Amino acid sequence: MRKSVNRPPTPDVMENQGKEPTLQELINIELIDSGEKERLMELLRERLIECGWKDEMKALCRAFIKKKGRNNVTVDDLVHVITPKGRASIPDSIKAELLQRIRAFLVSTAL
Amino acid sequence: MSTRKPSYTNPKPCKHLSAYKLKHGLSGYKSLQKCLKTTPNGRTSVKNPGTEIPRCSSCNGYQGRLYICLICSSISCSSHALLHTQSEIGHYLAVDIERAELYCCACSDQVYDPDFDKTVMSKHMVDLPYSTNSADSIGERLCERKRLGSGVELVDLKKAEKSALTRDQRAKSCYPLGLRGLNNLGNTCFMNSVLQALLHAPPLRNYFLSDRHNPKTCRKRTANRLCLPCELHGIFSAVYLGDRTPYSPAQFLYSWWQHSENLASYEQQDAHEFFISVLDGIHEKESKARNQIRDTGDCQCIAHRVFSGLLRSDVTCMTCGFTSTTYDPCLDISLNLDTSHCSWSDASNKPVKPNDNSSSSTLLGCLDLFTKPEKLGSDQKLYCQNCEELRDSSKQMSIRKLPLVLCLHIKRFEHSLVRKMMRKIDSYLHFPFSLDMTPYLSSSIVRNRFGNRIFAFEGDESDISTEFEIFAVVTHAGTLESGHYVTYLRIKNQWYKCDNAWINEVDEGIVRASQCYMMFYVHKMLYYKSHEDLSRLPISTRIEAFHRVAGCC
Repeated sequence: MRKSVNRPPTPDVMENQGKEPTLQELINIELIDSGEKERLMELLRERLIECGWKDEMKALCRAFIKKKGRNNVTVDDLVHVITPKGRASIPDSIKAELLQRIRAFLVSTAL
Repeated sequence: MSTRKPSYTNPKPCKHLSAYKLKHGLSGYKSLQKCLKTTPNGRTSVKNPGTEIPRCSSCNGYQGRLYICLICSSISCSSHALLHTQSEIGHYLAVDIERAELYCCACSDQVYDPDFDKTVMSKHMVDLPYSTNSADSIGERLCERKRLGSGVELVDLKKAEKSALTRDQRAKSCYPLGLRGLNNLGNTCFMNSVLQALLHAPPLRNYFLSDRHNPKTCRKRTANRLCLPCELHGIFSAVYLGDRTPYSPAQFLYSWWQHSENLASYEQQDAHEFFISVLDGIHEKESKARNQIRDTGDCQCIAHRVFSGLLRSDVTCMTCGFTSTTYDPCLDISLNLDTSHCSWSDASNKPVKPNDNSSSSTLLGCLDLFTKPEKLGSDQKLYCQNCEELRDSSKQMSIRKLPLVLCLHIKRFEHSLVRKMMRKIDSYLHFPFSLDMTPYLSSSIVRNRFGNRIFAFEGDESDISTEFEIFAVVTHAGTLESGHYVTYLRIKNQWYKCDNAWINEVDEGIVRASQCYMMFYVHKMLYYKSHEDLSRLPISTRIEAFHRVAGCC
């Protein structure tokens, strides 16, 4: 017996859809449509594994779980705790490589 | 390693998940199934056909984690997921769009439901790209998913039949293909242990899996007679088919009994004896069938092509120094254990020299011992061609030709002439995983003996690889009369323990600490090449232990 009437109105979305998409959004759409985003993500995954970043994060997660106790940790907790450290410890070379790839993609699509 | 539990059960569902399933059953999953898409990289994500880019219904953001509600299909980002459950009572469960994983917004935690994973998997299978490249990553991906349910059955049977092959790959994606337990048929661990080693010897595997011995044509030729290679072919097919339930090699056992009637019983047997007799059986059948004994004397049967090497023995007369050289083919090399530190000294006809009184012996030490010049006792005078008399002589063994697969057998069962009894040597033997056989080749041995000056050695071995990698160890635990054989297999640098029907992953430390009885080395090239063949199978060294499903295998 769900009451769909309870659902809040969502006028905001309707409004926004009429708006001109920002450049960032345009790029995002283009990246997704061409499949380039998927390729970039795969590349990034590979690089992060290669450089040991993934193992490092895994170790951090384990340490955190150990500290908090196995049953007292949620995925969200982990995401919140680990994300800042993770972002900070990505090697610059990888960032540079991805930036390079994105630039090349933008040039090729002449956006 | 020891703290890990052998098997992984599904985590308990949270109360929201239980409530959801009670109320809605699987209908939500089913309708979501249509929106699941598999990317070329083999990852599954949710693609809503309506909107192009999923956005959070509260903040309109499209970055970060987005969750689609299982009840109303509205999308929230991670910071608004909780809000959604507050505004909509009962809308607790959502699916991570990027990863197609179940999430409980109320608990703010990932939740696990085997039924959900089944749904995703069956869709996944339909979408499965067929290029080998992507199949690999799919395997990895599926591997991760597989940690949840032990027996994930496919929902979509029609589609499943179509690609049974891919299903096999995925359903037990955690262990490399070919790892299947063998049931104990009554004290047959000696057989199972050796079979496991044979099943994973790369040249043998390639031979049988490429149908080089075809039972159909074989049966035509030899009406109804039992054939060991045919049975072995059967085991290979059964094991590499992908099924992980333990297999009973009963037919093979029966055939082997027919072949070696003196060993046909339910008693415990020696694994090494069995190994030799099986190779014998294969040789007998194959060489007869192919008539391939060439003028060179090398038998072309698969058993000999894989396992047979050539030993050189130089017998030197102690009086005149004349050396006579003989070559003997061998299927394996039996090595004496260094027993110098054991309680009673060995007085048998195989003298054992003390090996630098080191307390623990090594395989290299055993090989040194094997290739050391050895004075034959006075009761063993040999006829010298030069003196034309029986003379004291010394003998030195070396390896003239290395086999493709080198089987080293450690003589742990010792026969003492003095005490008229047998005993087992339990001492530890250290063995390397990578073995270079160069020092034990005839060329090196002869060069050492004569020096480079008059070094004249027929045949050039320099181009033959001498580096070996271990791929199987048969170990024996227990006493002479009764004991147990266990095989450790090394696949892609990971060790697996094959104890009859059970197969587990083990640490290499456990393998090193085991009481090795037979060791199987293969040419380094072949060891790594065989992994390339297998690389399309879903196993990755990156996948950690908790991603695996133990137990069923």
